[in-house]
Amino acid sequence: MTNEPDSSDDAATARRQDMSALVDGELAAEGVQRLCAAWRSEPSSREAWHAYSLIGDVMRSEDLASAAAHDERFLRDFRQRLSDEPVVLAPQPASAPRYASAPAATRRSGIRSWRAPAAVAAGLMVVVGAMVTTQAPDQPTVDSASMAAVPAGRASGLVPAPQLAGLTPQAEVTPATTELVFDGQVIRDPRLDRYLLAHKQFSGSSVLGAPSGFLRNAVAEVPAR
Amino acid sequence: MLKFLPADVLKSHSSRRGSSWGSVFWGVWLVLACELPANASPGTAVEPREVREWLMRIHNAASQRNFQGTFVVSSPGVVSSARISHFHEGADQFERIEPLEGQARQVLRHNGIVHTVWPGEKVALIEQREVLNSFPSLLLDGDDRITDVYEVQAQKGERVAGHDANVLTLKPRDEYRYAYRLWAERESGLLLRVEVLNALGEVLEVSAFSDVVIGVRAQPEIVLQPMRKLAGYRVIKPALQATALDAEGWELRRTVAGFRQLSCVRRPLEVFHAPDVKTGAAAASQPVQAVQTIFSDGITYVSIFIEPFNADRHSRPVITVVGATQTMMSRRGDHWVTVVGDVPAVTLRAFTNALDRRK
Repeated sequence: MTNEPDSSDDAATARRQDMSALVDGELAAEGVQRLCAAWRSEPSSREAWHAYSLIGDVMRSEDLASAAAHDERFLRDFRQRLSDEPVVLAPQPASAPRYASAPAATRRSGIRSWRAPAAVAAGLMVVVGAMVTTQAPDQPTVDSASMAAVPAGRASGLVPAPQLAGLTPQAEVTPATTELVFDGQVIRDPRLDRYLLAHKQFSGSSVLGAPSGFLRNAVAEVPAR
Repeated sequence: MLKFLPADVLKSHSSRRGSSWGSVFWGVWLVLACELPANASPGTAVEPREVREWLMRIHNAASQRNFQGTFVVSSPGVVSSARISHFHEGADQFERIEPLEGQARQVLRHNGIVHTVWPGEKVALIEQREVLNSFPSLLLDGDDRITDVYEVQAQKGERVAGHDANVLTLKPRDEYRYAYRLWAERESGLLLRVEVLNALGEVLEVSAFSDVVIGVRAQPEIVLQPMRKLAGYRVIKPALQATALDAEGWELRRTVAGFRQLSCVRRPLEVFHAPDVKTGAAAASQPVQAVQTIFSDGITYVSIFIEPFNADRHSRPVITVVGATQTMMSRRGDHWVTVVGDVPAVTLRAFTNALDRRK
């Protein structure tokens, strides 16, 4: 995180130029990151960003005019609420096509309602483990609405990096972006494996245990290194 | 799947999607389903006594039959398979499981002794799994715990892995567990296929034989021989020490309906990652002892792990999902509590919340 003094007019001007470029979708990846870091650390940057967004909003509709404090309060409350929630990591369901394309075939097949048939095909994962991804920690916590307005900047600027979800101590809140996706950005969390292994050792304690639980245990066994 | 879904679930399902396509489709499907009783037969309810017999049969087949086959476990995004041989000779059970993907390894079991062997790495893990046989006691108690919490129905027979199978559905009577569909081979009762379904009727995980031969000749030597040949191996024997929750200073105010405590052990958690020097993760961490308590409702089971809180390894509360298995981790004062099970998150939460520190 860069912490340049606010008094530096040059820096502030450069920042505003960057912001303008970002809104136009012309800012390079490192520029976006620099800007996001500034947004996080400097109130003046946030104000400027808000002003820029506001100008754009009002040009579209006067109803969108609001004070910066309004957004900040919302974000603060939102973060607070989010940090109180456990992070849920779950397979991301495949979207709509399931319903539109050949539902009858899906229903009749043995595997009745795979949430993610495409994911199954694409993700023939060898090892059973927790598939966990999140995005880079120093990625903008900018409200995604404004970021969405700059698709080019987003595409070049946000390079998701694998991280252990929920294991990254972080002042700012990113769990909103924490989700499980089968897009190649999949990693296993070895810290979870040890619990799963210890748990499955007792698979004999269920009716499905002796046959399938024990087998599953063996199938899911994690290598010793 | 439809057999599992009352109409209101279907409705909410489609409306949740908010797609008119979906609603139309479900509407049409409901009409079709109503007109085709063969497809949507609700199944025959099974008496509690019969349920016990069914489950005992399934259990006995798994332990007392000789069979060899390929077993596949799949959940969205994950498919893994293993070659399995199981023999029963006299009072002894022998089992050999070879996962077909990933690092070459073998799981060899002679009764309660289980060796997991990685020939490439020359590592052998030796474990005692006496709990493996504790399940029938849950059934022989005479009470009808399983039918108290699951509604069991017999469905029309189907063919699986080349065998005729009886089909059983277990529908939970509350929100604390998943639904199951079981395919048991008609003659022996061997479980050929298991599906775990959530409240929406979505299949979370399928475990099934893709092929299996039942009644093969027993060959205990293919299990015993590699179990004896451990020369040159680094042998790991994690020590499990029996304990009790209250002896560890904990109390479970109430258990989730239908679940009963089976055992409680103190165990090392790092056993598998001790040799891992590549990541440095294990090197940094001391051997951590955790208290593991196991609860079962007869069909599924839940583990609670309690270990000292360590800010380096534990941070925010997390829920993870792997197939049908969910894990919930959270901090409880100076401790870190991890609850694992093939159960909905609400069950994990109930166990977590019921846990109290007494000293």
